[in-house]
Amino acid sequence: MRVDREKCIGCGKCFAYCPIGRVFSFTSDGRKIYTVTNEDECVECGVCLRAKVCPTEALYMPELSWPRNLRNAFSDPLFIHQVTRIPGRGTEEMKTNEVTGRYRRGFFGLGVELGRPGTGARFRDVQEVAMAVAPYAIEFEAKNPVTSLMVDKVHGVLDPQILDEKVLSAIVEFTAPIVRLGDVVQVIHEVARRVKTVFSIDLICRAEPDGSLPTTETLDQLGIAYSINGKNNVGLGRPLARED
Amino acid sequence: MGEDAIVFAMSAKGFNEEESAPRMRRFLEIILRHDPVNFGDMKTGNRFAKTVDEILRGVQNTSIVHGVFTDWGKVPRILEEIKEADLGMSVVVTGLFDEVEKCCRASELSRHTIEHSLGVMGRMELLPEDDIVEITTMCGHGMVPANLVRAMVMKIKQQEITPEAAGIELAKPCHCGVFNNQRAERLLRRLVATFCVDQR
Repeated sequence: MRVDREKCIGCGKCFAYCPIGRVFSFTSDGRKIYTVTNEDECVECGVCLRAKVCPTEALYMPELSWPRNLRNAFSDPLFIHQVTRIPGRGTEEMKTNEVTGRYRRGFFGLGVELGRPGTGARFRDVQEVAMAVAPYAIEFEAKNPVTSLMVDKVHGVLDPQILDEKVLSAIVEFTAPIVRLGDVVQVIHEVARRVKTVFSIDLICRAEPDGSLPTTETLDQLGIAYSINGKNNVGLGRPLARED
Repeated sequence: MGEDAIVFAMSAKGFNEEESAPRMRRFLEIILRHDPVNFGDMKTGNRFAKTVDEILRGVQNTSIVHGVFTDWGKVPRILEEIKEADLGMSVVVTGLFDEVEKCCRASELSRHTIEHSLGVMGRMELLPEDDIVEITTMCGHGMVPANLVRAMVMKIKQQEITPEAAGIELAKPCHCGVFNNQRAERLLRRLVATFCVDQR
């Protein structure tokens, strides 16, 4: 995002509408005080522009080129990703699992969403997490925008051109056998000490015929806490994926 | 958390998205019959940005449509109606697992796949205050800024806006409409009593 210096009156109304919170600041050229954007921190999400709070329409988003356009692709939920056809950094994940069969019994799915909640993340940290979990992953999810940026999908290596680009959030998504859940959680704890942002961890499991979840049973045995709320796919999608 | 139930539907890209728009429109119509707090379509926007007609007319094969409720008592009937409509779209209910299980039992549905959170890790010192995060994270895309919550708290303290209107103001940046403005209102009332905002 940019601010047209001539139009800006330095009212500061845009400041409250930045999800990153560190993009806008005041400066002066001796003639007037006006707002400028920190382009390194700006994730091009468009929230400030869509809010339409600028009284002089001084905010504008220039045409973005590679690799900066990745910021908008991941951070703006109005941008439809060409691979996933889901808005922004999104992925269908477990929401359509009864139809896609993405997560099957005997395996778990994990989504590590870097930058959430509200700090943003650079792809350098996304790679850090991807490479840490790669030895345990059966595979990284193909219909995920982060996976489409990997130059090495076995080891979780991203295109080096993008590592300094910052986005509102990005999800490393993969499946692994349930027997490796404890190892994966341990690796996640270790990589958390190395990244320069925060991340949220979402654990996905196909329910057993009796409704039980092998993942929570494993977590209980390991003494690992998990949420009391979350997403529940209630199995109404059709056609159903084959279970074998 | 106990007053926040989200019911949403989507097609599976490459599996059943063809001609799914009319079915997702019917899903939204069922949702609307039960007076949701907020609703919307990822493609078009939320109720505070668009009219009901604009949202319904804008539904596409790749839409993600949903409704937000504060009354779990409504959800079993909503699920029954969706089941009866036989839409063939994936439906996800988000909220407390105990409540979702009760609703599924009441509407004779079984949970197929479940997602738990294992929490947040990393540079936790970068996060805003817990009270602020509780509000901003109602938007899953991170569209609701922490500074906007602080600004609303200040405006309520200065009697420039009511907590109800502030809840709606916070819901507006959440494009898809999953943000629960009534829950935000309740949280803001609590924040205003205990929070000091640095105006610098």
